[in-house]
Amino acid sequence: MTFLKALSRTKLYWGLIAIFLIGVLFSPVTSSGRNIFLSSGNLLDVLRQVSTTGLIATGMTAVILTGGIDLSVGSLMAICTVVCAMLLTVPGDTAAIYLGLPAVGLAVLILGAAVARFIFLNIEKSRSGEAHIRDIKLGGARGTVLPAIAGVVLCALVLSFLLPQMQTKFGVFGVLLVAPAVGLLFGAVNGVIIVAGRLQPFIVTLAMMVTALGIARLTAGQNNAVLPVYTGSNATADFDVLRQLLFGIVPMPGIFFIVAILLYGAVLRFTPFGRYVYAIGGNEEAARLSGINAGRVKIVTYAVSGLLAGIAAVLYVAQYRQGKPDAGAGLELDAIAAVVIGGTSLMGGRGSLAGTFCGVLIFGLLSNILQLHNINSNLQLVLKGVIIIGTVLVQERNAYDLFAQLRLPGASRRPVQGDTSVEERTSRETLSLTMGGKKE
Amino acid sequence: MRDAVPTLLGDSVTTEPARPILAAEAVSKSFGGVAALKDVRFDLRSGEIHALMGENGAGKSTLMKVLSGVYADYEGTVRVDGEIARFSSVRDAEAAGIAIIHQELNLVPELGVADNIFLGRERVVAGLFVDRKASLEAARGLLNRLGIELDPEARVGQLRVGEQQLVEIAKALSVEARILIMDEPTSALSSGECRRLFKIVRQLAADGVGIVYISHRIDEVMQLSDRVTVFRDGRHVWTRPMAGLDEDTIIAAMVGRNLLDAHPVNRPKGAEPVLSVSGLSLAVAGRHGWRDMLKGVSFDVHAGEILGIGGLLGAGRTEILETVFASNDGVRGGEIRLDGIAVDIRSPRDARRLGFALVTEDRKAKGLHLQESIRDNVALPLVGRLARFGLRSFERERALASRAVEALGVRCAGTDQTAGTLSGGNQQKVVIGKWLATGPRVLLLDEPTRGIDVGAKREIYDLVFKLAADGLAIVVVSSELPELLLLADRILVMAEGRQTGLISREEASEERIMQLAAPRSTFGRSVA
Repeated sequence: MTFLKALSRTKLYWGLIAIFLIGVLFSPVTSSGRNIFLSSGNLLDVLRQVSTTGLIATGMTAVILTGGIDLSVGSLMAICTVVCAMLLTVPGDTAAIYLGLPAVGLAVLILGAAVARFIFLNIEKSRSGEAHIRDIKLGGARGTVLPAIAGVVLCALVLSFLLPQMQTKFGVFGVLLVAPAVGLLFGAVNGVIIVAGRLQPFIVTLAMMVTALGIARLTAGQNNAVLPVYTGSNATADFDVLRQLLFGIVPMPGIFFIVAILLYGAVLRFTPFGRYVYAIGGNEEAARLSGINAGRVKIVTYAVSGLLAGIAAVLYVAQYRQGKPDAGAGLELDAIAAVVIGGTSLMGGRGSLAGTFCGVLIFGLLSNILQLHNINSNLQLVLKGVIIIGTVLVQERNAYDLFAQLRLPGASRRPVQGDTSVEERTSRETLSLTMGGKKE
Repeated sequence: MRDAVPTLLGDSVTTEPARPILAAEAVSKSFGGVAALKDVRFDLRSGEIHALMGENGAGKSTLMKVLSGVYADYEGTVRVDGEIARFSSVRDAEAAGIAIIHQELNLVPELGVADNIFLGRERVVAGLFVDRKASLEAARGLLNRLGIELDPEARVGQLRVGEQQLVEIAKALSVEARILIMDEPTSALSSGECRRLFKIVRQLAADGVGIVYISHRIDEVMQLSDRVTVFRDGRHVWTRPMAGLDEDTIIAAMVGRNLLDAHPVNRPKGAEPVLSVSGLSLAVAGRHGWRDMLKGVSFDVHAGEILGIGGLLGAGRTEILETVFASNDGVRGGEIRLDGIAVDIRSPRDARRLGFALVTEDRKAKGLHLQESIRDNVALPLVGRLARFGLRSFERERALASRAVEALGVRCAGTDQTAGTLSGGNQQKVVIGKWLATGPRVLLLDEPTRGIDVGAKREIYDLVFKLAADGLAIVVVSSELPELLLLADRILVMAEGRQTGLISREEASEERIMQLAAPRSTFGRSVA
């Protein structure tokens, strides 16, 4: 049983390893006998290709962990590609400036204030020591005025960096500030509406998906407009850095993806915020009654989801040399599929970013293998759908469960009288406890 | 087998006074080791109204769920017309002519009266389409015979609760029911609606339907029923004909003797109240405008004191705790003072920061994260407080959980054990431990021993006494009168959202509480 237990615990990685092995075994071989799939060029290409989806899936994971969903990410990315491309190629007053600069200003203002408060709070905490368990409240200037000043100062600094670029064209750092800020703001709007209006995340983000697409088209100026970005000719050359390989090996988009996964993963694992994300997804009412500000946590997850869509947008513009309103069409579904393949429960409360990383790679390797074999692109879609279901079937059950079902069909899963749905969810754990013998 | 079925729809009536049409013999039922029914018997004759009485948790509803096929796994025998029957579903019971009207309404508000009555048994034309005309006609006929004046086309959601109750009755009787079980049918009715309901119930009995009538309201049972059965703690106390019985006899039988030994109380009390609540009110938006759930509730709790809150289900006991803790929806009013200072509590977060702790009635849905570890559960409210520069301190969280587990005597394999795998009593200790870790001044306990076995109950009681002795101000809501009498220094009794008494330990008795808790028609029911 320990073997099964180990298998079940690491099942996340088995899927990835399996698809990797399939890729290696069935890979076409070059005339000189080299395995095309295994070539570093091919594998790094996979990493570059999955980065956009990967960044979005990263933000989506936290949203889904709270029990929500974000359907608007594709459209938010579209807005940001348009804003990014416009800032890069058109100098002076543009729609992108009117959308982007206030967004940056607001985002930086709030961020500055939050960081200042955070620092004051922690200084106070270390002073008060262990003995006093009650929450700490910041009194006087440190509670409101000083954070506000910090916000304004940071805001002024950032704008003084950005405003001169308006006259010419924005550089790479400029767009890397503005586009994510636009995404962040739209994401925060999602969160605020969901929390304040007590509405279903599904319907709110669906509405945002439509609205944001409209805004993207309005910003672009005409339907389906494509804003081409050619570094060196109509845009500054420094934007090319996003197309390059870091140390001549790793593509830049891949770096962004991996850093995002590591950072957000650490946040979910090691910070109180991360703990609240899981607690809200597991049982929102119990979390709220424990005195957690569930609304604020949820708003932040949607805001970060928007932020990551904004970063993905900049990478998209770099990669495809254009920004356009239909850039992110269907991306939200790819991201959700990757998150679910990674073992995160759509009910919330269960899952991880490590899983999402695997999910994204499984998805990317799969596409790559199908492409290497020149399989008809429509057939690729069919195969992908089938494989998503197959993977999720394995991910959603653990090995004990599968075996239990094989041996005693239905017998061990008969619901006990008076069971609630909550108990239903734990029945799997109880089962694995009884079958696994002693708990470590 | 059922040659002459006395029903409302078929009008042949054959009376067999001697043989019961429905009987339960030596029926026992337990939930996860907690016995809800122990060896009870019950019988019903055709054409009789048989009242079943007992306190909350006495086992009335459990027996009715056994008799109507909701619970299939019980011990003992159920007989219909003298023959052993074992219903494995509600449909089986329905086929045997047994219909049940639950305390909560089971209607679809968006559908019409007729549609609700025949839900799942629609009259169909050409095997596909609902025959609206025929179903309206049938509904009209049924309502007429019952003497219910309702438009069969009216949407149920627009009816008042009392009228909805009547639709429920019509629905129950639209199957050929000759046994009708009514669980607290008048809990939401005005006195006029009650009178109308009684008329219909008597008419049904005269037509030969056997009726099991469950109610808390003694006056109503006395004027309606032919026989009374009293349950207490899941056991059958006695069955007697109504004639010659008086109110006191019934109350005494329901209450019984105090099973729990008295606990010596000699706790020092603070001079000034820790918590002082005045004019507490709660109004929620209902279908017919604002509905008062609480009105004018005032009380003090001193350090070291345990205040009990008693009353029937729905009397507003839980609402008091939730309104203080600001965890419910609706418009809250009144003044709350902590140590004499008026406080503004707008969210559970505010309440926690001020030093309030709420242990909810529904442990699994509102108190615990069942799929998470004991450690994560206990540390949850304090994760932010224990963190340093944004990073969680797993070490401090573990220490906190270990202290709580040790202090409360939670029996577990370690703080990593999943909370959902603990027994009810130990889960409750984890919830209490979570709140004690926040260092509260005021502890609000809602049904702290619900679903917990006797041994663990004792431990929870001892814990509550110890916490009071440590100087906490404690408020306990309980449906079990012996528990209230055991724990509380003073008892606040609620009826229909209002405070009907605040009695001291000396003057408190189960009889006195029951009297105060009984709903009175003089309090205009807000639904009416």
